[in-house]
Amino acid sequence: MTAVGLSDPRSDAYAKVRGLATYGVDYREAGMLHARLLRSPVAAGRIRRLDVTKARSSPGVHAVVAAAEAPRHRNGLVLLDTPFFAGDMVLYEGEPIAMVVADTPRQANSAIRTIGLDIEEMEPVSNVVEALSPGARLLHPDLESYRVIPGIGSWPKEGNCGGMLISDPGGVDEAFEMADIIVEDLYTVPRQYQAYLEPKSATASYDGWRWTLHVSHQFPYKARSRVAQALGVPDSRIRVVGHHIGGGFGARLDLGLEQYAALGASHTGRTVRLLNDRVEDLISCMSRENATVRVRSGVTKQGRIVAREFECLMDAGAYAGDTPYLTSIALLMAGSVYRVGPTRVTAKSVYTNTAPSGAFRGVSGTYLCFALERHTDRLAQAIGMDRRDFRLRNLFESGDSMLNGQTLDDADILREAFDVVEEIAPWNKAGRGLLKGKGLAAVIWLTNPLAGSATLSIQEDGSLGVSTAATENGSGAVTMGLRQIAAAEFGLGANQVVVTSPDTDTQPFDAGSQGSRTTHVVGMAVRAAARQIRPRLFNVASGLLGALPDDLELGGGKVWVRNDLSRSVSLAEVALKALGLGGPLSATGTYNVPLPKWDPDSAQGLMFPVFPVPTYHVHLAEVEVDPDDGSVRVTRYVVAQEVGRVINPDGVYGQIQGGVTQGMGYALWEGLESQKGRYTRRTLESYGLPLAADVPDVEIIVLEHPCEAGPYGAKGVAEPPIVPVAAAIANAVSDATGANITRLPIDPEELLVAIGKRQEG
Amino acid sequence: MTQILTLGVNGTWRTLQVRGDEALLDTLRNRLYLTGTKRGCDEGECGACTVIVDGAPVHSCIFPALAAEGVEVRTVEGLADREGKLNSLQQAFVDQAAVQCGFCTPGFLMTLTVLLENKSSPSDGEVDEAIAGNICRCTGYSAIRAAVRAVVQEAKT
Repeated sequence: MTAVGLSDPRSDAYAKVRGLATYGVDYREAGMLHARLLRSPVAAGRIRRLDVTKARSSPGVHAVVAAAEAPRHRNGLVLLDTPFFAGDMVLYEGEPIAMVVADTPRQANSAIRTIGLDIEEMEPVSNVVEALSPGARLLHPDLESYRVIPGIGSWPKEGNCGGMLISDPGGVDEAFEMADIIVEDLYTVPRQYQAYLEPKSATASYDGWRWTLHVSHQFPYKARSRVAQALGVPDSRIRVVGHHIGGGFGARLDLGLEQYAALGASHTGRTVRLLNDRVEDLISCMSRENATVRVRSGVTKQGRIVAREFECLMDAGAYAGDTPYLTSIALLMAGSVYRVGPTRVTAKSVYTNTAPSGAFRGVSGTYLCFALERHTDRLAQAIGMDRRDFRLRNLFESGDSMLNGQTLDDADILREAFDVVEEIAPWNKAGRGLLKGKGLAAVIWLTNPLAGSATLSIQEDGSLGVSTAATENGSGAVTMGLRQIAAAEFGLGANQVVVTSPDTDTQPFDAGSQGSRTTHVVGMAVRAAARQIRPRLFNVASGLLGALPDDLELGGGKVWVRNDLSRSVSLAEVALKALGLGGPLSATGTYNVPLPKWDPDSAQGLMFPVFPVPTYHVHLAEVEVDPDDGSVRVTRYVVAQEVGRVINPDGVYGQIQGGVTQGMGYALWEGLESQKGRYTRRTLESYGLPLAADVPDVEIIVLEHPCEAGPYGAKGVAEPPIVPVAAAIANAVSDATGANITRLPIDPEELLVAIGKRQEG
Repeated sequence: MTQILTLGVNGTWRTLQVRGDEALLDTLRNRLYLTGTKRGCDEGECGACTVIVDGAPVHSCIFPALAAEGVEVRTVEGLADREGKLNSLQQAFVDQAAVQCGFCTPGFLMTLTVLLENKSSPSDGEVDEAIAGNICRCTGYSAIRAAVRAVVQEAKT
């Protein structure tokens, strides 16, 4: 019996259904103080006066800090462009300007209102087109002088463009001449807010030398290094302790409020908690960037794509965040899935006077796939070919290479995925008709390769402890995946495995929950640790049983002599005995994914060069459009997803159903639009999250091609189910209505117009 | 200005001082340390703060504490028995993997508790309607519907 492949419940479910799980916002310490940020009320301007005198003498106030009291240097995820507090200029609405620390949240609120703030407002650079126009005001006139994080090299940047990827392999213009038809499209998407239900918070204390932070963060080691960077101290002076995470989806990978809580703690010598209310959380969150994508392809009458130009403008907001990295995704997607011929790619991260954008599950992939797969439909239609046949004709096969030069040895899985979707939802049968439509989309996605670690211990009660700085963001990767992998290594049930929460003081580096990495990468670290422990375990048991280690079997919490069950010892006995025979049965395993080969000359500015451990995905959406109000109903949704090997079916299904739901929201309702740098939808209510009645039960087909270098063959699972969803739904809606969907979320008014035209026609 | 409030909480009568404008959620979390009830939005939209007041689900973030004077309030902490054994709805949430990050879970449990007290065998559509005031960002709702079906099934057998 092995724990791998079972639908074991997650280990934190019991605490969560009883209301006993402590999240970041639930953590408290006796005597802690409460902080509140003064955030910029305008998108752009110069601070003429900041008077905190009244606030300093307000009841209950312990400290008021602003740029003058904070570190002067800039910090950042890749490009050090971000001030601690806005000092001279404010660059986005919601930018922190000052912080009040008081005995109670109400006192902090009252004191904030007494701060005299005079800002000379400026016309904001409100979108990427304005930002790139000649003569546009520069958000960062000193861009060229900004430092970058160590070990990352340099990349092209200029003006309001903080990061740029350029790939021009040659032969593109000649290849376009081979085309019978050229199609060009422009796609536009708004920001998407992660809308995790637990608002951001941080609680910090300071002992005169080191800071301790209690957080719900997806990547405690990044929180540590970023707080250290912001404060200007070595990483080792920061300790980050992780608590249950009330959803993250990428929004808790970089700093949120941690650096401010830390500064408050060292200014007051007290424990300080800082907590966002929902509106400030929404307006200041690093949401998925808005973007425009222009794609132009040449196609032959026989249905071959022969050339492509691809251009993507990503709105980084006021500070670059991770967007200089994300420009690489354009290269990794523009010529994957389908063979497209020579392709020129440009992607730019552009500064505007809006909140900094950042990581959201699937990052730029969601809209790049939307643009590419809408465009694929348009190419098929331009030559009068069936949209599915056209895809199969151009589909990648094993041995094909992406535009970065990375060869995919197993791309034939794409064909298998199209086939299995066809089996349960035949393309040419049913599901079409009056205002009904179908859409397909496919994608290749990565498993994040960054380093991880786990420490395993056979405890003296015979249970197995797994200690790791990997985080359980809700996906089950730790509480199902790692537990089950660890259990399987020792023939235990998952219920005999205890996983601890992260603490950077006690666990080595782990890159946190991002890019579906935890089960794959940390699972390998768990195996590495187990394989160090097993020989010692058998040696100790060998002494206890008077048998050779090679003659011993392990399982069910016991070690026994092969073919003689009467001679056995419990793991508890072995663990106790080991204490006097070299010490506890414990070991730390580490792992990072070796990167596949790529061509470093394929592009300039290629900072995120490959898709390691690629997985393959085909989605099919069926929709109905209401002729009265243009609303879209997703009536059927089918996913075929390659996962390597299922560790827990409930975990896999939960990630796919949940990812598809977030993708539906993106396609149909969600979106942060801004006018003059100010978001127009500012509450959860107006934001438009999917509700239960909106979401069908997704039909899920899991493909398993075990990965040699993966724990029991598992690859990444959780991130990609969101990636193709908007594409598949938009294609289905276009099929149903004739509307050429080029913007998200899909606009019911536009559908009504298209339906009207079709009826007239 | 504080006032005296007497209310029942999970079967025990409590008398405490609250501010006149205090939300029931703050009373529960900050005065009674019942932090199972979550604050997601503070605007009565996400449903994470749902508790049962006098038999009906309410968003406690916008429900005045003083409006609970003399009535019985039930929170997620009151669902399991004294020994910590989960009730059938909680157990179904565990078994059907209806919990991911779990921040919305207490609110869903309280809303669905009221639904199941009023309807022994709700349809999927009735479940969706009942939880229209509860947002889950992780699961995509399918497993939550499955959990209710499992409770109904168990009650029948």
